[in-house]
Amino acid sequence: MLSELLQGTDTGAVLIIQDSCSYSGQHLLKSFISAALNKEEAVHVLGFDVSEEELKDGLTASTQRLHFHSAYTDPLGWTNRTAFTVHQFCVEELTHLLKQTSHPKPVTLVIDSLSWILRHVSPPAVCKTLQQLKKGGAVRAVIGLLHADMHQRGTVGSVCHLATSVITVAPGTKGDEAVAKITKRSKSGKVMQDEEIFSIKGDFSVTVVSKTSHAGHRQTEPEEHQTDPTANLTFNIRLSDTEREAKEKLALPFVFSKEKKTALLQSGPGSGRILYEPDANDDYDQEDPDDDLDV
Amino acid sequence: MAAPVSSVGKPSAERPPFSSTSFQKKTRSKLISIPGTRPSVQNGQLLVSTGVTSLDYLLGGGLAVGTVLLIEEDRFDSYSRMILKYFLAEGVVCRHELFVASAQDNPDDILQELPAPILDDVAIHKPVEQPRLSCEPQDNLDAMKIAWRYQNLPKVQSALASSSRFGHYYDVSKTMEPEIRQAAKCHRFYLPEHPTQSSTTHSRMIESYSALLKSLQEVIHREGFDLSTPMSMSRNILRVGLHSLGSALWNDDLSCHDDPMHSHALTTFLYGLRALLRSSLSVAVVTVPSHLIQDQALMGNITRLCDNAIALESFKGSERETNPLYKDYHGLLHVRQVPHLNCLASQLPDHKDLAFKLKRKQFSIERLHLPPDLSETVSRVSRGELAGAAAVASACGSGTSGNKHLDF
Amino acid sequence: MFTELNSILNATPDSFTQGEFILVSDRQSDASFLIHHFLSFYLRARCKVCFLGLVQSFSHYSAISQRLGVSLTQAREKGQLIFLEGLKESLSILIPQETTTGSQAMDFLRDPTVGLQRLYEFVRSSVSSDGGGEEGVEEWGPPVLLVDDVSVLLSLGVSAGAVLDFSHYCRATVCSQLQGNIVMLVRCHGEEAEDDGSDEGSEWLLKGLTHQCSLTLHVQGLPTGYCRDIHGQVEVCWRRRRGDGQHTQKKLFQYKVHDKGASFFAPGTSSAVL
Repeated sequence: MLSELLQGTDTGAVLIIQDSCSYSGQHLLKSFISAALNKEEAVHVLGFDVSEEELKDGLTASTQRLHFHSAYTDPLGWTNRTAFTVHQFCVEELTHLLKQTSHPKPVTLVIDSLSWILRHVSPPAVCKTLQQLKKGGAVRAVIGLLHADMHQRGTVGSVCHLATSVITVAPGTKGDEAVAKITKRSKSGKVMQDEEIFSIKGDFSVTVVSKTSHAGHRQTEPEEHQTDPTANLTFNIRLSDTEREAKEKLALPFVFSKEKKTALLQSGPGSGRILYEPDANDDYDQEDPDDDLDV
Repeated sequence: MAAPVSSVGKPSAERPPFSSTSFQKKTRSKLISIPGTRPSVQNGQLLVSTGVTSLDYLLGGGLAVGTVLLIEEDRFDSYSRMILKYFLAEGVVCRHELFVASAQDNPDDILQELPAPILDDVAIHKPVEQPRLSCEPQDNLDAMKIAWRYQNLPKVQSALASSSRFGHYYDVSKTMEPEIRQAAKCHRFYLPEHPTQSSTTHSRMIESYSALLKSLQEVIHREGFDLSTPMSMSRNILRVGLHSLGSALWNDDLSCHDDPMHSHALTTFLYGLRALLRSSLSVAVVTVPSHLIQDQALMGNITRLCDNAIALESFKGSERETNPLYKDYHGLLHVRQVPHLNCLASQLPDHKDLAFKLKRKQFSIERLHLPPDLSETVSRVSRGELAGAAAVASACGSGTSGNKHLDF
Repeated sequence: MFTELNSILNATPDSFTQGEFILVSDRQSDASFLIHHFLSFYLRARCKVCFLGLVQSFSHYSAISQRLGVSLTQAREKGQLIFLEGLKESLSILIPQETTTGSQAMDFLRDPTVGLQRLYEFVRSSVSSDGGGEEGVEEWGPPVLLVDDVSVLLSLGVSAGAVLDFSHYCRATVCSQLQGNIVMLVRCHGEEAEDDGSDEGSEWLLKGLTHQCSLTLHVQGLPTGYCRDIHGQVEVCWRRRRGDGQHTQKKLFQYKVHDKGASFFAPGTSSAVL
């Protein structure tokens, strides 16, 4: 499903990449940017977390269609060198900004990162802006990076509630692999969930290593093979085939053969018979020993 | 800095009045030694005694001048108050100046309760051990023929001239004589006497702490403890004792609320206190009722803003009082922090499980070890009762007791 | 400068990565020995260093640097080191005087809600090279900002969000614009809190700074308990890596602090044990 998301997004899609301190979602974000550029889309990036050079570093696709609005150098207006401040994150300013670069087709907006904005703008305002962007207009799709461990669970939940797809990344077991949990909501209301292991190569192309279909199932490749407990002993506890046969053939005491069992179960003539006729005394009700229950 | 430092290492908070390169060696002739202080063997810091010799040992020889010792009070503030009094009494004996601040009791009352120093303990032992001491030490020393090995020991002092020893012993059953006490100069700060000013409070400090800090700075400037004053005057040490900071009587709600409004008042004050101490010849002991402060993070911040920090946990009133394991001690002592000043490594204590005991003539701090199990009944100690550390001798101790039940 | 740490980080005073944001953190431990390492390292590398010493006096850092072979007083006289002595500057603000002297850098003490903009402006003016006109001014290398430590700002009432803004601006100026390095020390207490985000304390600040930085050194006590010979463990984690290998790399070492340095070794190979 990761590759599907990379290939194309429908209009009005909001994709959120959630990451944490242990694994940064920056590289996956750059993969999405690279895929979008390869599809000849116009990409606008609101850069808060990283500088323009760092973001463009390594992107081999032509960066002509990539417009970087730097909010990294002065997001709060301290040095009066602002290109974009955090308080400009609202629909009017954004559409104005996007319309400045004349483009016939709608634009993919990449926000790096939403956490920065959420620190200064209240979550309801951010959600409202995202919703209005989703409705369409100048922006075709929104891709945002969110540091899930920096906000309260409710905030993360509210922002992701608006998203059409959410990818949560976490470090994988092997070095450069990572685990992505994907939730996608289609327009028809169907929700698909998937968990994949992927790795990102140097040119920011994503290779999906394996898919695990169950949500809770983890790919547990044991790091070391199980040690054989019968090895390295001073005595031999293994059985050869002949020894195993002999073992199974052995008749154990007090284990009756089948014939003997059936003979014992059927009472032959002349052996004692057990005649049983139920008696009043046998009718013992555990719950009512005095037999006067009148419930 | 006035300390007989033999190495090149700089003592804390030194500000040479002459411009010098850092490699200039301090010669003894330029320095004035202050009574009651000694340089540390580890890093040349100037140390003063806390009044409790075992606490001095724990802190690496003594309290470094320019630092703060934080004492987390025990539940009834009995032992922490005792240590504060030891600290102030040591200041009196060494002829240091005192600054006492309190919101609960009048500083005069605290000063009247100071324990009496034991001054002639040197002479007490002598007549018992060396009956052959033929003459009084007050006569000319050259005349000692038999006990000539004792020539260089200090003479018996009945009056307190000036004690050049480091660390004294005190008798807590007696209070200090008024003459001795009044010989020392003492500055007081009693919060009810300072009306709350309506002046604008800068920063997050509340008025009581601001007033305290201001008063302390005035004393330091006026009495010449500032390091920037010229070195020609004879220098002395200012001992600052601050009682129960953070309690409700200081108008601080740190110990009252789980989520205090003035959460940064005490920490800002401690920062200012550290700034004052680093630039003057003073040393401070601060007690804080940490058992009332719910926020552990805040306690961590407070501890980190002080240089030394110990916590006292008394057994009184807790279930440990009747525990036979602890019958020899009055409480546990935890070392929360030791400083590393002017050096990379800090003097970490050898053991972390320490217990204290207040005896009449000594406040002793020892490593907690279980007493030998000499009871007649086989006592099996459950894991939960142990202090958590030295689970040493239950097994071997019970061997002595089980014999009674063996019939051969 | 600790030679073993240099080899771990693949850095020498002659060649080190530029534009790095190094975060030194500790939990129930004291990582300030690493700050002394970086201070002597960058001074030896002939960088222009701006040091915000907020918790100790200048003579403390000077005495330790002397043992590590670097003279802070000389560096300050030559203009290589700009030292903000937080304790000294704060007194004039905490105890209001008639004449307010001192730099405006510690203005946040007056009203902590204002934020750390002034402190950032102090940093910016220190690291940006003073223009020509002075003769005999030596040319120094890339600028370096050292902060010891950032958590004391939280104790003084500054919000964690303001500290993150300050570190962001410093990073934008020092790392990205001037290709210099930043080293910050942040101190945590207690165990890691499960409930993240709600408490804007030092844990939250640690997470925020971790997201911003490129290299973390996390110092902790030994998980097995207190030991006199091994003072703790250091976890080194490289986060942003350019070029090949986008994955984060982690390494764990144990350390012991001596009088004149610190030694680092793989877990279990302490000389006290072997």
